Amino acid sequence: MVFVIRRVIQSLVVVLVMSLVVFVGVHVVGDPVHILISDDMTEQEIERFIHQLGLDRPLHEQYLHFLANAARGDLGNSFVHGEPALKLILQRMPATLELALAAFLLAVVCGIPLGMYAGLKPESPASRAIMAGSILGFSLPTFWVGLMLMMVFAVMLGWLPATGRGEFMTWDGLRHLALPAINLALFKLALVTRLARAGTREAALQDYVKFARAKGLSPARIVLVHILKNILVPVVTVLGLELGGLIAFSVVTETVFAWPGMGKLLIDSIQRLDRPVVVAYLVITVLMFVLINLIVDIVYSLLDPRVRLKEAKA
Amino acid sequence: MSSVTALGVRAPSPNPETPFRRLAAEFLDNRVATGSLIVLALIILAALAAPWLAPQNPYDLAKVTVMDARLAPGERGSAGFVMWLGADGAGRDMWSAILYGLRISLGVGIASGVVALVIGTAVGLAAAYRGGWLDALVMRLADLQLSFPAILVALILVAILGRGADKVMIALILVQWAYYARTVRASALVERRKEYIEAARCLALPPRRIVFRHLLPNCLAPMIVVGTLQTAHAISLEATLSFLGVGLPLTEPSLGLLIANGFEYMLSGKYWISFFPGLALLATIMSINLVGDRLRDVLNPRLER
Repeated sequence: MVFVIRRVIQSLVVVLVMSLVVFVGVHVVGDPVHILISDDMTEQEIERFIHQLGLDRPLHEQYLHFLANAARGDLGNSFVHGEPALKLILQRMPATLELALAAFLLAVVCGIPLGMYAGLKPESPASRAIMAGSILGFSLPTFWVGLMLMMVFAVMLGWLPATGRGEFMTWDGLRHLALPAINLALFKLALVTRLARAGTREAALQDYVKFARAKGLSPARIVLVHILKNILVPVVTVLGLELGGLIAFSVVTETVFAWPGMGKLLIDSIQRLDRPVVVAYLVITVLMFVLINLIVDIVYSLLDPRVRLKEAKA
Repeated sequence: MSSVTALGVRAPSPNPETPFRRLAAEFLDNRVATGSLIVLALIILAALAAPWLAPQNPYDLAKVTVMDARLAPGERGSAGFVMWLGADGAGRDMWSAILYGLRISLGVGIASGVVALVIGTAVGLAAAYRGGWLDALVMRLADLQLSFPAILVALILVAILGRGADKVMIALILVQWAYYARTVRASALVERRKEYIEAARCLALPPRRIVFRHLLPNCLAPMIVVGTLQTAHAISLEATLSFLGVGLPLTEPSLGLLIANGFEYMLSGKYWISFFPGLALLATIMSINLVGDRLRDVLNPRLER
């Protein structure tokens, strides 16, 4: 319990620090008048707006004001859409989460078997091909792979739609989801494959595996029960942390496939100088990251009590 | 000439084994790594020699004509030479555009990598040598930054700073410094406890001399590895930002921008405008990564060889 409370407090500190960074970024590094006010206002409107936003007040007061507003969920209105920025972001969030989770599942479902195979038979040609493929997966720029997938499967073969999103969990929706999800999954797939391979190679030499073999258990049971269980802990941990990375990288995939998620909105907003939406995106993403890290930490401490004990000692 | 003199002392052989020679021999022992090194060298040479290798200066408006727009690979352009990789929407020869784009991509990646290396090393060394609050502050800052993916941090910075080559460089430097600081701190903490540092301290050498002449050279091996891999990362990140339209301005057409230019022609089947610059980008990133991987194996004394 102490562990959980300490982690929650640490997370709150991170959120505060990040809010300070965002605030400093918007109000001190950049010109707040320039960042928060759209370019087509008249002189008088700008004067009134500055007063309304409190930009003529001292900095620490402004920061508290920003915090209070953010806590109430008021992050300003979008210049382009005229709606609250937060609402826009939340409207787009399900699409991004759908994409990120689909990619996550793909990476796990394909990556673990591939990695285990490569770990069990490190010398076979197929394993070498898997490992070479994983290096490729790390090196290929996501956006270019996206273009190539679109080129081959949508333009040349015409199997799948190139852009947009369909209804959730319908045949059409899945067809639209396929290419973006594969694109987003590739990098994580390479990562999972490598993790699973390293874990399997290590586990295969352990005494409990030798014992299971000596006991006469079938190879399938040894691999699927004894080894799989033991490689899951590191894989799950790393993947949990990487879920945030998937959401961040979905910016790229969403732009390529015109997927109507948060990331596409972010890029559109940066290009149109719609700054309240950019700030809202940052606030939401930071909160999401901190939350994910917190959950992974807690789950990990449940899976592996040594983490808690070490922390308590330090 | 005999290698043994009358006194029985061996004269220095023409090829004395130095640490560098030993590492180089070990590096070249691996065929994949050697191949990657050759590819990388060719890419860098091609980028340096772009004005001589390219049949056309793709940004000289007098040389480029819209008549050549979207020529397929292998067709002859109006200037008389064959465009083996086709032409883009403005009639630029893709091969020339790629050579010039490589210069910008490599330049931005390497320059930001070097600056980040210098800053990160200075900060990491200071943190390790001084310890105390400075160490705690620097490392918490690095932890905080590294808990967010690089692409997200870069996007935040670009959104705040605005567009432009200098802004992208600043973003890339800020994204990378933490990796260097962490790496150099980790190895400096180990080295700091060794006897030679203690000896230097006993000689009352000034701290600056101890840090730069004694500590730093012994922390270099991991820095080289991280530096190589980070440069590949920086090049990829810059290309991504430029592709998203928030990176380099149109006046600095890096590989990422070339790929973005081809995006609109993709759906009509004109693949070459995006495909070939992407291939160049892939070859660059992959060769750097493979060289870095091999360097890590060669420079790591713990690995059984």
